[in-house]
Amino acid sequence: MAAFSYATATGPLGAEGPYWDALLDGHLKLPRCRGCGAWHWPAVWRCGECGSWDHEWVERALTGTVFSHTRTHHAFAGTEAFDRPFTTVLVSLTEVPIRLIGVLEGSEEGLRIGAEVEGRIDRTRFGTHDIPALRWRLVA
Amino acid sequence: MINPSGLTAVAGIGYRQYKRGTAPLPERGVLVSAIVDACNDAGFDPALIDGFVSYGDDKNEPVRLMPDLGMKHLNWSAQVWGGGGGGVAGAFGLASAAILTGQARAVVVFRALVEGNSGRLSTAVMAHHLNDHMVSAGMVAPAQLCAMRAQRLFEHHGVPTSVCEELVRASYHHGSRNPEAVAFGHEYDAAEARTSRWIAEPFRLFDCSRENDGAGALLLVSSELARDLRKPPVTLLSVAQGAERGWGDLLENDREDLYPTAGFGAIRQRLYDQAGLTPADIDVVQLYENFSAQGVASLIDHGFCTYENVTEVVRFENLIADGGRLPVNTSGGNFAHGFVHGIGCAIEAIRVLRGETANPVAGAKTCLLAGGPGSPTVSSAIFGIG
Repeated sequence: MAAFSYATATGPLGAEGPYWDALLDGHLKLPRCRGCGAWHWPAVWRCGECGSWDHEWVERALTGTVFSHTRTHHAFAGTEAFDRPFTTVLVSLTEVPIRLIGVLEGSEEGLRIGAEVEGRIDRTRFGTHDIPALRWRLVA
Repeated sequence: MINPSGLTAVAGIGYRQYKRGTAPLPERGVLVSAIVDACNDAGFDPALIDGFVSYGDDKNEPVRLMPDLGMKHLNWSAQVWGGGGGGVAGAFGLASAAILTGQARAVVVFRALVEGNSGRLSTAVMAHHLNDHMVSAGMVAPAQLCAMRAQRLFEHHGVPTSVCEELVRASYHHGSRNPEAVAFGHEYDAAEARTSRWIAEPFRLFDCSRENDGAGALLLVSSELARDLRKPPVTLLSVAQGAERGWGDLLENDREDLYPTAGFGAIRQRLYDQAGLTPADIDVVQLYENFSAQGVASLIDHGFCTYENVTEVVRFENLIADGGRLPVNTSGGNFAHGFVHGIGCAIEAIRVLRGETANPVAGAKTCLLAGGPGSPTVSSAIFGIG
């Protein structure tokens, strides 16, 4: 298993330690099984398809389409980092069969399921932590 | 293997509900009250209880109930996994399994929630789902996660938002006639609901369930024993819990077709087959609805309608006890009766079959209890009478 250094803000880390380290390093990396090539998200220690414990973390582009979205109005505790209302999008990545979640920035004109988006890596302040975070923007 | 259908029965029920923050006793005291109520209802000595089952991370460890109840032996204690209401119906399966294998004789299924003791339920539920991925995207509450799934149900699968209003309106219709309900005496005002504040789009305030203090307890025994007790037995005809591949707290990576559902496709067939019933045989439904769209998705999952004909089935006139073909949430449900993590839905399943409800369904012989929708582990049950 790859070594990692990220310490979470919210509880135990799963098998996705290298994901966080890559984000801290400015890259999106996702796990692919070296045994059968299956992408796994959430990350797994053992591939349930072929039984391999060996995964490679592959850099992928932050491009995709909106799978779904919600605009939050209520002042839920823990969302202080964002001005309300704010929109969260669930994005189907273009290159791999994985969805990632993040806050939408910029214009919301044309926001709909299927809309193309591109992302960048930022930080979300949560308590005393700065969590690596994805921000998405609609492609005009 | 034995088919457990009809071999165990609910013999007694007890339910205490209070406005949040107004329970007269701490949580365990309220729970003991509900358990003793259930025993009085059944004509059963509380000292003879020998098992307990709960769900949703209930904090009341059964052994601590023994002194107040005068119990000599605790033979069974278990809880369905998961922080949400997904396990409410499955709890009856655990109780039934204990009874049918001789490991316990009288098992109480319960849930207690006094938030001054246990904190806000939504926070406790979300603790199961909180992680840095979600928090970094501003997603910290069940309402937001369910809202995003609802958005896809509406926008991509074409379910009209109007069906949610029909469901909420039917709930308030029942609740307004139920003296125990938070909505008692309050008729649903469509304009008020439509202009109520946004929580997380597409949900407004009226799309969200309430949280109450309270406790519910249901005494399950063998059907044979139940026949000797005070009330007509309501038999457990079927119960199923579980999940399927592609579902279950996967950082929103659920299988594409499962994503907007409530997750019950995994158990639907087992549920109906165990009882030898079909959706057409169900006379009344107690539907756990955390949020309006998830309630509708649950009805679809359970085979009462489809994406295509949902507007024909989820109509106010069709959902009410007085004349509807599919009466739903005859107490008012989580929206309008009150919300003690869904145990009120189980209580109402028994009341409606006994004819003790505020909104009677004439001749009802079967009642489906749909557990918490969208939970990683879901469950449902079917009860019957006569």
